[in-house]
Amino acid sequence: MWLRTLDTLFFLLFIVILVFTTHGIAQAPTVRFVDGESKTLTDVESTLHQGIIYLPVETLKTVFDPEMTHPYHHPKKQLTLKTKGKELRLQMGETTVNIDSEKEPFILNSPPRVLQGQPMLPIEFFQKVLPRLDDVAVLYNRTLQRVRIMPKTVWAPETTDDTHEWVIIIDPGHGGKDDLGCKSQNGVIEKDVVLAVGKEIQRLGNQQGLSIRLTRDQDVKKSRIQRVQTTNRNQGQLFLSLHCNASFSPNHKGMRLYINNPNGQLRFKAAPIPVFGKKRLNILTQANFLKQSQDFASVLQKELNFLAEDPIVISEFPIIILADVYMPAVLLELGYLSNVDDATRLSNPNHIVQVAETIVRAIQIYSVSVNQSANPNGL
Amino acid sequence: MQYFRKIVHSRLFVIWGITLVTIIICLAVTLVLISHAKRIRIVDAPPKLPTTANPTDIVPAPQQINIFLLNPTSLEIAPVKAELSLYPEPTKRLKQIVSALIQEAPPDYRNPIPRGTLLNEVYVDSQKTAYLDFSHHLADGHIGGTTAELLTVTAILKTVFDAFPNEIKHVQILIDGREKETLAGHLNLSQPLRF
Ligand SMILES: [Zn+2]
Repeated sequence: MWLRTLDTLFFLLFIVILVFTTHGIAQAPTVRFVDGESKTLTDVESTLHQGIIYLPVETLKTVFDPEMTHPYHHPKKQLTLKTKGKELRLQMGETTVNIDSEKEPFILNSPPRVLQGQPMLPIEFFQKVLPRLDDVAVLYNRTLQRVRIMPKTVWAPETTDDTHEWVIIIDPGHGGKDDLGCKSQNGVIEKDVVLAVGKEIQRLGNQQGLSIRLTRDQDVKKSRIQRVQTTNRNQGQLFLSLHCNASFSPNHKGMRLYINNPNGQLRFKAAPIPVFGKKRLNILTQANFLKQSQDFASVLQKELNFLAEDPIVISEFPIIILADVYMPAVLLELGYLSNVDDATRLSNPNHIVQVAETIVRAIQIYSVSVNQSANPNGL
Repeated sequence: MQYFRKIVHSRLFVIWGITLVTIIICLAVTLVLISHAKRIRIVDAPPKLPTTANPTDIVPAPQQINIFLLNPTSLEIAPVKAELSLYPEPTKRLKQIVSALIQEAPPDYRNPIPRGTLLNEVYVDSQKTAYLDFSHHLADGHIGGTTAELLTVTAILKTVFDAFPNEIKHVQILIDGREKETLAGHLNLSQPLRF
């Protein structure tokens, strides 16, 4: 009897220890730094203090400036950073950052601190201060703990004046009471997710001066022909169809990109012939844009990889929604509603915003690259 | 008298015992047969030979074929062995094999064909294109998503091409006798397909 009680107690103790240790690990994440091409620069062990992620000052040398010097005055707890021809002064425990090239000090939300015997910087420093020191944009993915530092030339919204003329068609798939698309076990529905993402892309894109049209802006049924008509009538320069994926295995997860290619991984019997039978003629039209569609998909892939646990795959199949669209066109599957983690993510409004932001950035990068390309006719 | 009773008693005991054991054995054999039959998935029982035997209807011994199902761990469409008494006539054989694909999957696999789907008819034209006519469940009962659609089509195509490497070059999926441009809104099925 006593033995059994003792056993139970030990078991409970073991569980408690297990929970605490795993909890501890989850609390201080490893932060991955990636470059503009989404290649890993380094993985850094962080320290957690009052819910804020702190990184060693040394990290800056690996991810930003190998030439940087960072003398630290121990008694005064003063850190000086000399980098990119500028000098920054930080006081441990204080939120002000004095940059010699700027009149006003920059104010952080959380101060740098001495943790584990060394001066450390809050992750916010990387996000907000680095763009003031060099021509870089810094993105932070809180979910996957990734920081992407890329040259501003990769993403330069201020140079996208030409894209004002661009019309981008976003096609939230499915819709109406008959066509819900796929659904998760806990009731997340494809048509709702893709509409939310589409609307967010429109809102953010319009803020950036892009002209974004939706093939549907509410929960209504739209036939494929109606969508194609909206698209071609608006003379868009880009077409992006938004969907949520499903599989017969709950293990399938992540985003996927598809391009219409009747000679891709599945092949049509005959290569489309330009006869005046409507269907065949239309298939040929999207074939004219295969290269541009591949380019657009690559940009989306590169940008969205920042949000993805595993690298996103681009596949080429005969895709019906893209078949009759007369412009570069890509189908994006945002995640699997048949996968618990993906479904949870896709019902999180923050994730929706993050995905929309990333898509808008990809559209900008693609449009800039097209406008900058040697081809004077652009598209 | 006592002695006689004892004998009768013990004899009854023995008889009852034997009967019980027999019943148990019978039950066990039946269960084993049923589970075995499920695994083998005999779709069409071999037809009884008519008195005026048509030579094409004579059914040979069961043959092993591959049907392609989703391995939920590797996430691949993988071959699963099945045993069928196949008709020699190709169209009938095709119908048997595709019908075998529609059956419930073994526990370690997922069937990417929606439940309730029936195979109405099959037809192979002179250009080696197989037309497979499924009931509306294949489209209406589909879970949706590009991946799921691809899995469904891949399982059908792989199963057909594996069994008929030379006789069939393309597969056209039909729903209730008609071409349907897509099952769930993503993959284009308006033309015959191959890999
Ligand atoms: Zn969809």
